[in-house]
Amino acid sequence: MLTQPEFLAPLAARRADQVVVSTMSLVRAWGRLSKHELDFAFADSAMGHAQSLALGIALAQPQRRVWCLNGDGSMLMSLGSLVTIAQCRARNLVLFVAQNNTYEVTGNQNIPGAGAVDFHEIALACGFPHAFHFNVAREYEAHLDKVLHLHGPVFISVRLEPGAELPPNRKQSEDTPYLRGSLADSAHRLKAALSVEQ
Amino acid sequence: MLTTRQMVETFKQIGITHVVGLPDNSTAALFHELAADPDIYLITVTREGEAFATAAGLWMGGQHPLVLIQNTGLLESGDALRGTLTRMRIPVITLVSYRGYKSLPNPNDASSRTWRNPNSMGEDASPSNLTPDDLARREMDSVAVLLEPTLRAWNIPYEIVSDNSELEKIIFAQQRATQETRPTAIVIAETIR
Repeated sequence: MLTQPEFLAPLAARRADQVVVSTMSLVRAWGRLSKHELDFAFADSAMGHAQSLALGIALAQPQRRVWCLNGDGSMLMSLGSLVTIAQCRARNLVLFVAQNNTYEVTGNQNIPGAGAVDFHEIALACGFPHAFHFNVAREYEAHLDKVLHLHGPVFISVRLEPGAELPPNRKQSEDTPYLRGSLADSAHRLKAALSVEQ
Repeated sequence: MLTTRQMVETFKQIGITHVVGLPDNSTAALFHELAADPDIYLITVTREGEAFATAAGLWMGGQHPLVLIQNTGLLESGDALRGTLTRMRIPVITLVSYRGYKSLPNPNDASSRTWRNPNSMGEDASPSNLTPDDLARREMDSVAVLLEPTLRAWNIPYEIVSDNSELEKIIFAQQRATQETRPTAIVIAETIR
């Protein structure tokens, strides 16, 4: 099993000009490591749909890599989206699923099928050309450069220790900068940033 | 009559780049037309909630999508719409097909729409005082009963379109969405041929 820093720190070290969409327990965790204008917190939004938003961005901007940091509970809410993503052949999309087997932000209740769901096999069966599962930090980091640059969509599940992240609420006093604005402000700001950089 | 050719031309007139949705009987011909169109990218989703989030992402990335779903799918995906287009204030229009429209009494006049059978209070039933019987009646499609009250409850402005002569309402819906920075809807009350 990886710790949350073992999962996210190698990604942060490789962060360049990708769009990174995070959700649920990964929002604050990623926000502590990255403060890029192309980070987007899918928080105070619609549960289970971060990967579909990431798909839309990836299709809109095929020249840019898009990473989605998803939770396993969120992934279960919209498993069919794996079929949609695969059929769209979004070559620039990498979908991560942090598999801690719990709904972390509500206190670590088990997700349905906790421990029994093989997400990366589901992704392959849905048509993803590449899907990987890592549960050892050393192997994850050793393969990361290669998998991040494959022609996607790429699916990566990572077995994670449960943590204790709180719900990612948006408020002005929030420690994590990209949670300070409203969801609408964040969406419009990302749109503006993407239009400038195109 | 509503025709696929005129609808697609209207989409192009307002600059639509992507259509994201899920077909039903009344929109099937339109999906076929869009699948073959070289200028509009069609994305068929597995469930309607994906359509709203995908459209939101397309918009953020600088594209101009619309969502095309049935009224059943709209009700199914309510929180996806709320948590993306509505809460993000994204000016994307949704075309919603009106399954069961013709099963409604007074289909052309929502404001006077009542049911002949009185409810338990002795009043004529209407969308503002529905009873369980109203939604369980065999001859009336409950999703049709609920569509317009739901759109109003969700603060989604809408117009009903039944004929090619009304397609300019799609243009106005997009203009309103852009001017007010919010999602709007067009309800399609006729099979597209």
